[in-house]
Amino acid sequence: MSDNLTAPEQKHAEATPAAERRTLLEVKGLTMHFPIYGGFPFKRKVGAVQAVDNVDLTVAEGEALGVVGESGCGKSTTGRLITRLMEPTAGTITYRGQDITHASRRQLSPIRSEIQMIFQDPYSSLNPRQTVGTIIKSPMEVNGIEPAGGRTKRVKELLELVGLNPEHYNRFPHEFSGGQRQRIGVARALALNPKLIVADEPVSALDVSIQAQVVNLLKKVQDELGIAFVFIAHDLAIVRHFSQRVAVMYLGKVVEVGDRDDIYNRPRHPYTHALLSAVPEVEIEDAEPRERIRLYGDVPSPVNPPSGCRFRTRCWKAQDKCATEEPPLVQISGNRDGHLTACHFPEEPTTQARGEDVVLDPALQALEAEHAESAESAVSDKD
Amino acid sequence: MLLEVRDLRVEFTTREGVAKAVNGVSYEVAEGETLAVLGESGSGKSVTAQAIMGILDVPPGRITGGEILFQGRDLLRLKEEERRGIRGAEMAMIFQDALSSLNPVLTVGDQLGEMFVVHRGMSKKDARARAVELMDRVRIPAAAQRVRDYPHQFSGGMRQRIMIAMALALRPALIIADEPTTALDVTVQAQVMDLLAELQREYRMGLILITHDLGVVADVADRIAVMYAGRIVETAPVHDLYKAPAHPYTRGLLDSIPRLDHKGRELYAIKGLPPSLTAVPPGCPFHPRCPMAQDVCRTDVPPLYAVEPGGAAGLATGEGRGSACHFWRDCLEGTGSR
Repeated sequence: MSDNLTAPEQKHAEATPAAERRTLLEVKGLTMHFPIYGGFPFKRKVGAVQAVDNVDLTVAEGEALGVVGESGCGKSTTGRLITRLMEPTAGTITYRGQDITHASRRQLSPIRSEIQMIFQDPYSSLNPRQTVGTIIKSPMEVNGIEPAGGRTKRVKELLELVGLNPEHYNRFPHEFSGGQRQRIGVARALALNPKLIVADEPVSALDVSIQAQVVNLLKKVQDELGIAFVFIAHDLAIVRHFSQRVAVMYLGKVVEVGDRDDIYNRPRHPYTHALLSAVPEVEIEDAEPRERIRLYGDVPSPVNPPSGCRFRTRCWKAQDKCATEEPPLVQISGNRDGHLTACHFPEEPTTQARGEDVVLDPALQALEAEHAESAESAVSDKD
Repeated sequence: MLLEVRDLRVEFTTREGVAKAVNGVSYEVAEGETLAVLGESGSGKSVTAQAIMGILDVPPGRITGGEILFQGRDLLRLKEEERRGIRGAEMAMIFQDALSSLNPVLTVGDQLGEMFVVHRGMSKKDARARAVELMDRVRIPAAAQRVRDYPHQFSGGMRQRIMIAMALALRPALIIADEPTTALDVTVQAQVMDLLAELQREYRMGLILITHDLGVVADVADRIAVMYAGRIVETAPVHDLYKAPAHPYTRGLLDSIPRLDHKGRELYAIKGLPPSLTAVPPGCPFHPRCPMAQDVCRTDVPPLYAVEPGGAAGLATGEGRGSACHFWRDCLEGTGSR
């Protein structure tokens, strides 16, 4: 299957500097609070899950923006708001200069075909009672699009484009494996020649050897068709591979955003730093010693997030100021253009190993102190 | 040797025919050693573990051959009552999904204490005290209060800590962890993995870590066994394997990972799909996807060759490397086509 994937051409997306490209999508102050109802005998609003809070993002034409974060950070909600599957509580979404935040169904219809979505679960996102042909054709039918040569011909072209056999047009989703189903999902997203695809964890349900196939397919689609992507994932390595720019989210906020290399090589926000250091990595011989930052505890509840900086409860640099004043997302000194960080006390711009590990989990700290000796002796025994 | 699995075979009867989920698997775990069993879904890694624990669903599954020697005893010859005494007390398992592995209508204290009541005949009060101790041991804050909480009141990472506490309760000699951190976020994953590794080192337990994540393996395992279509295709000390894989499947997996410190263009992707277990290809099961496949691969099943240095003697002592590839030499030297 991967034989069908030709090596990508020189990426025109990367060849053009970001500033020269036109903004496709602009999100300002995007907020989504899900109300919680409770009480007896009359239910009333008792609180809100602050899933997304005051998020600013921009996506340029043909650009891939990666959105990373842990579960509950609001990255999927952001994706659904951008595609207008949900209506935000506050903020504006501007697509090609047009405000679509509260656009009606009718106003949205010309834009719907340009913004498509690829879902995480290739099993529940395809109708099991429709053939692949019907599934891929239906967006064209709904939007009344009649491509040259007919819809069936277009479906076959799409199947070929995503590396499936066009003869399988009449098969049902259950006849395909997970990776192939995800290809069907990609073909469906491409059916309307979109300008922007929001891909929500497109490979995390797939086996390791299949993930690479689908990532390559998406990258090929992005490079050759010049489609802009919002690539939502928790896998930092895949986001790095796929995206030109990366936004890091924590508890409903964007804490850091910038060019891929800035985020991965010169993270300034402590959370970005910790997240990068927590990724278990395939050991490479002669690799520089990696620093480890072990955060304490879990992500706090978005119903009642910490005041000030939301990361402060797990941050080793937190001071009084962090509890009272929310850090703005700005370009801090030492950062390059477009690299924004929301932190009062940013990190040094490096990922070089520091002298000591930062271990914030007292459980681990105690364990490590207790067993440092026995561990050392065990290591020396082995040698 | 703590655990020796010899030529284990497990079959499942399915509508499509007989699926050979485990097809002649052998591995060993020494005291205090961590063996990582790596494979994709359907490779037989979890079924092997279930056979060792004695929690295989029979039927549809059945063990058709081999032996599982645990501290010298062949578990497959023991009566069910004898196995029940071993399970939980001498070997324990940690599952991927802590929420569905814990009983939602019992407090975590009751569930932890039950281990002591059933296996050690303790009173409920003593068992409760031990449960608090255990929760403290896995560093759950305010253990004395939280012992009365129900599983849903804990976060994912905390629930997995309770699973670890439960597995450790009776100080087993062997722990099998089946994807223990897959359902957790990266920062929490790191905490749980570190905790597990530290406790294992302290109690000198054998640990079988079943995972599909090559990164997790690199951090904690001593040895690694790579499974594909019910067989072990490569086994080696972790660092040797990562440095120079001796099987094209392993090499493909390593090449297909986008690395943080590599700026990737196109990812290497293993072509095709894993085979259906009811229709495993003849010869080497990997040959339809293998870039190095030759005629011999289509007809002859490769045995687990001893990889130099170390050779056959090394493989027998569990120190050496093995590869089930006719062309392991080419693969090791990186000369085979990719």
